[in-house]
Amino acid sequence: MAAPFAFAIPAHDRKLIPDGRFSGTMSWVMAIMLFLTLLAAAAAISLGNAASQGSDTLGSEATVQLLDPDPAQRAAQQKSVAQILRGMPGVAEVKAVPEVESRKLIEPWLGDAANDADIPVPALIDVRFDNPPSAATLKQVQQSLRRVSQSARIDSHASWMAPFVALMQTLFLLALSVMLLLLLATAATVVLSVRGALNTHRTTIEIMHMMGSTDIQAARLFQRRVALDALFGGMVGLLAAVLVLWLLGSRFSALEPGLLADAGMPLYGWLLLVLIPVGVAALAMLTARWTVLSALKKII
Amino acid sequence: MRQAGAMQSVAEFDNVGLRYGTGSETLTDISFTLFPGSFYFLTGASGAGKTSLLKLLYLSLRPSRGAIRMFGHDTVTMTRDRLPGFRRRIGVVFQDFRLVPHLTAFDNIALPLRIAGISEKDLQDPVTEMLSWIGLSERAEARPATLSGGEQQRVAIARAVIGRPEILVADEPTGNVDPEMAVRLLQLFAALNRLGTTVVVATHDIHLLQEIEGAQMMRLEKGRLSDPTGSLKHPARPLILKN
Repeated sequence: MAAPFAFAIPAHDRKLIPDGRFSGTMSWVMAIMLFLTLLAAAAAISLGNAASQGSDTLGSEATVQLLDPDPAQRAAQQKSVAQILRGMPGVAEVKAVPEVESRKLIEPWLGDAANDADIPVPALIDVRFDNPPSAATLKQVQQSLRRVSQSARIDSHASWMAPFVALMQTLFLLALSVMLLLLLATAATVVLSVRGALNTHRTTIEIMHMMGSTDIQAARLFQRRVALDALFGGMVGLLAAVLVLWLLGSRFSALEPGLLADAGMPLYGWLLLVLIPVGVAALAMLTARWTVLSALKKII
Repeated sequence: MRQAGAMQSVAEFDNVGLRYGTGSETLTDISFTLFPGSFYFLTGASGAGKTSLLKLLYLSLRPSRGAIRMFGHDTVTMTRDRLPGFRRRIGVVFQDFRLVPHLTAFDNIALPLRIAGISEKDLQDPVTEMLSWIGLSERAEARPATLSGGEQQRVAIARAVIGRPEILVADEPTGNVDPEMAVRLLQLFAALNRLGTTVVVATHDIHLLQEIEGAQMMRLEKGRLSDPTGSLKHPARPLILKN
């Protein structure tokens, strides 16, 4: 009875609160709550990751367009501008996009005509900065490039990425809110379940109370049961969630690389998902303890 | 029976009143002192307040007014976390037995020892001995529902005395047993009393009172205590069982 830890309760003390009257439904409710919580958590982690990757990676990138109508002139300017960019401080990588690749970009709209030499295609240079460049930096770069080509124009990816990142951040906050609401609902479920169990076992608790049982001793009987139910439910929920996430992951990996490619689950995300059921079991245990202690305070 | 002499009192009630909710007082101006090693009968008609008085004694209720000192400590203003330690020094036999229904007779009797943190090894012998003493060795693994009223009562009494309490409070402990068993139970209480336990037995069985010579009597009438033997504030006298 004087065991210090929640799970270190002797077998004879466990008999005081028979399992059959308390577990069962509770475990499966916890499994469902944990499954939903883990899906919301996975969504929050993936979307947060996508938003962060998007703003960090794509936000550091820009594209230079050279629009000179003379193809030979365009090609010469592309080389010179690329050379200048490589010498600029803060520029991590410069890639002159071959004309063939540029024409491929318009192929979906023009078909084979995209490869017609008579159709002018701007010369492109992809630039990646060490850090997302400010508007002032981009203006400065553009001014430097204009000295080589009057038609040079630099577009930061951040400008068209902003709505996407904002959407990802909103969805991330939504998923996080859903996860927190589910955790609150889980705690509420535990409170209701423990109150029900307390009513069922009120006589036993009162008898123990009269014999000098402390509130902590009584609470320990309930918190252990709740923690085990939550842990069992958590494991079932985790298993189901991992299965669903694996299926979703395989669907995502079949997509063409693009914006959604950043929405994958990082390694730390998987670790967090495994830790959530343990955390919820601890939360359930503390909630049960608080519920029992609050109820017992009403008797002297 | 030990002489109380200048010993510290086990329980001291001073002008105690008890009121449930906003109703009239169930107990009024209760004052008495219980000395170590004494034996008391608490009598009174149904509704006189016997059970309420016992509840105050075994720290299940706090009084509405007045002072109560148990084992030399003020239990009225005592914080909740200190009460369990005092409750472990009190054995209680409830009128309705209050056995834990899903525990065996053995586990019910062992419950106070387990609550007090006694190891399984150390509690096996005393519980087995107690089961033998109440004649239920063969029913050690029986659950209360399968025991007769008398057997349940014996288990309840065994549970109350297993921890060698300093004070034993029994509410109508012989109400469900035959006269022979009633005398045997009283003998158990007397034996405990001889070991120094203060015993308070609430009963309305006049015959039971006549079985004992020298026992002191507290009588409750409409929530007020009368003191027919005039000895409640004095050291206890020897208790003699007639048969």
